[in-house]
Amino acid sequence: MVNFVSLAREHWVNILVPIGFVIGWYMDKQQDQKLTAFRNRSALYGRELKPGEEYTWK
Amino acid sequence: MLKILIPTLFLLPTTWLTSSKWLWPTALTQSMLIALASLTWLNNSTDVGWATLNSYIATDPLSTPLLVLSCWLLPLMILASQNHLSSEPVNRQRMYITLLTTLQLFLILAFGATEMIMFYVMFEATLIPTLLVITRWGNQTERLNAGTYFLFYTLAGSLPLLVALLMLQNNAGTLSLLILPYTKPLLLTPFGSNIWWAACMIAFLVKMPLYGMHLWLPKAHVEAPVAGSMVLAAVLLKLGGYGMMRLMVMLEPLSKEMVYPFIVLALWGVIMTGSICLRQTDLKSLIAYSSVSHMGLVAGGILIQTPWGFTGALILMIAHGLASSALFCLANTNYERTHSRTMLLARGLQIALPLMTTWWFIASLANLALPPLPNLMGELMILTSLFNWSAWTLVLTGAGTLITAAYSLYMFLMSQRGPLPQHMLALPPSYTREHLLMALHLIPLLLIILKPALLWGWFA
Amino acid sequence: MNPFVLSILLLSLGLGTTLTFASSHWLLAWMGLEISTLAIIPLMAQHHHPRAVEATTKYFITQAAAAALILFASTTNAWITGQWDINFNLHAFPASLLTMALALKMGLAPVHFWLPEVLQGLDLTTGLILSTWQKLAPFILMCQIMPVNSSLITFLGIASTLVGGWGGLNQTQLRKILAYSSIAHLGWMVLVMQFNQQLALLALVIYIPMTFSTFMIFKTNSSTTMNTLAASWAKTPALTAITPLVLLSLGGLPPLSGFMPKWMILQELTKQDIPLTASVAALSALFSLYFYLRISYAMTLTISPNNLNATTPWRLQTTSSTLPLAISTTISAMLLPLAPATLALLSP
Repeated sequence: MVNFVSLAREHWVNILVPIGFVIGWYMDKQQDQKLTAFRNRSALYGRELKPGEEYTWK
Repeated sequence: MLKILIPTLFLLPTTWLTSSKWLWPTALTQSMLIALASLTWLNNSTDVGWATLNSYIATDPLSTPLLVLSCWLLPLMILASQNHLSSEPVNRQRMYITLLTTLQLFLILAFGATEMIMFYVMFEATLIPTLLVITRWGNQTERLNAGTYFLFYTLAGSLPLLVALLMLQNNAGTLSLLILPYTKPLLLTPFGSNIWWAACMIAFLVKMPLYGMHLWLPKAHVEAPVAGSMVLAAVLLKLGGYGMMRLMVMLEPLSKEMVYPFIVLALWGVIMTGSICLRQTDLKSLIAYSSVSHMGLVAGGILIQTPWGFTGALILMIAHGLASSALFCLANTNYERTHSRTMLLARGLQIALPLMTTWWFIASLANLALPPLPNLMGELMILTSLFNWSAWTLVLTGAGTLITAAYSLYMFLMSQRGPLPQHMLALPPSYTREHLLMALHLIPLLLIILKPALLWGWFA
Repeated sequence: MNPFVLSILLLSLGLGTTLTFASSHWLLAWMGLEISTLAIIPLMAQHHHPRAVEATTKYFITQAAAAALILFASTTNAWITGQWDINFNLHAFPASLLTMALALKMGLAPVHFWLPEVLQGLDLTTGLILSTWQKLAPFILMCQIMPVNSSLITFLGIASTLVGGWGGLNQTQLRKILAYSSIAHLGWMVLVMQFNQQLALLALVIYIPMTFSTFMIFKTNSSTTMNTLAASWAKTPALTAITPLVLLSLGGLPPLSGFMPKWMILQELTKQDIPLTASVAALSALFSLYFYLRISYAMTLTISPNNLNATTPWRLQTTSSTLPLAISTTISAMLLPLAPATLALLSP
């Protein structure tokens, strides 16, 4: 049987880069949400309005 | 953007915490994962071009290919360095990987920066890891000299750039790449504006390098360990081309008159460095001079400022990045077996390492721009745009192409064909690692021609 | 040295500088300068070898001359304007005299010749005090008398950056190199002082941890020449790996902290519409960078590829605390991302 404890002890570092990816993905998403706050106006950052979404900038 | 940047940052603790037995496999796998993740940047579907924006960094069609190339190169550098670092203590191996990872971090920030000062800082920041890699892990004592040349050529060129950028900031109020093309041009006295133009361009022309300011490059290439040569040829030189393309937009009315001496020098440099290659005895030096020659074409294409020129320059930069990096790896496989860079001492290798010869063949053909490789597309576009500017440039560019073909064949025939000298009968065979390394260089090069629009920049 | 005596001397050193900081009267400021000069003299001569005594004498003579000049200039100023206030209504002639006297006290070119000679005769700790703490009082006074004759100040600044770079090029003695590096850095500070004192202060605040780290690194390795640095990798491997960063930071290479003051100063100079001065100053930093790079070569980049196979000195525990050095090397390498915070901290 594979010894999971020793496997984890030896290879736990491999999790760091995927964790970094997840953190980066999350922060990118947050940033996108922030930048598209003016979602109906900004030519650079704007996005399509979801159905039923409020205008933020009249 | 951060989803590549933060994993790259996390690669540093991974390098130090992993057990010494797993150091190289871990570093290779993880950096390869990052490189594969970075391919998502190529899927740019925005109308404005700028994508994956945040406050400081973004990608656009111009920077994406270069960013992906820098990410792609880290696993290749790790793969290439494994053998020549195997005799070092493990902490130094970790340090080496750390330096290469830091370099990738700085390169991503440089190509991704949306602000010129940030670009400048990161452009300079790449100097430190490269300098340490060259001067600490190079092989001969001349490496110290090469490191000094490398540092001081770049800095002497780029400190005026900093002053020029700060002047532009005072005038325009911003250095954001998103806004700067729409600001008013800087108003100075005629003489002052010429100096300003030169200050903006010379930093990048030194980095390219333009013929006449290129002396640091062959030295650095010859003395650097394989990873240093690879990253220098593949990415660091491209910082110069990238910076020029970015700044050209802001230099509008001035460039028309100012570019003449530089175009002449660039095209003359294609001929001159090509001729130097023809009589070169040192393999790495030959590849280095061939880089100068190709980057001369790139500089010409950028200085001409037509869409075709820019597109051709970007294509040639990427294609040359992969091809010259591959050639440096091949030169290193020779070096690790014969411990010499002299071509005369490593002849007839086809008999000893037949599969390697295939890689040599493809890489040499890529270097001389054979169809269907993207190198040809880049060169043709630059040649065409230069021809459109002035028909006489064809004399220089045509001769340059001919010479390129001549020295690429000279390099191939000299190193691969003919009888195997007596002193090399007992060469170690080529490793799977080396074949993988070459495949990872040349397969992307061959595949990219199936969708060249990825490299077309803003004019796709 | 007896700890009581030492503490009295160090406290007087602090007192003198603080007195100068706090004073608005020229006589009091002069007194503060004199107290700190007199307090450091026994520290300089504490090792009774001839070189130290020579250095002490040289230091005493230059500082006394500078102090006399300050006294003379402030008296003249009182005579002309009828008051002794430091930052109010300074007449142009005594102001120029004061600038030169303070330049002599700090060791700015062209009156810098004493500094390398004196520093070479001291041990590294006293040298550190001389090149950081002893600069503070004249520096603050110089900030307070601004603005004075602009071309004089620009000349002092440019001359110092050039001389500081040029002079260090052919030195192999670390303390002399550090003296020239101090001259060059002070040149940068003085160059921007007439336009923006906060930036001058920023440059000083960044310069101090960098110099502290360099002096302490050399002290840890007990080396005073470049040759002896080559053995440091066996004593302190981690420190040896970090030293190039500290040195290149002193040279002002981005992305290290040393780039921050240079960047800000160049920005201020271009704002004042003197890009030529800015370019000359920027390019003169390359001279300094050359000798920092040479030290890095000697210390780190040419170390042998093998590990030691004998009993290694680094296995022995050091008695001195490594925390200050750890903090200061970190500061001197990694402060650039915090540039906005640092600037905000120093703005009024």
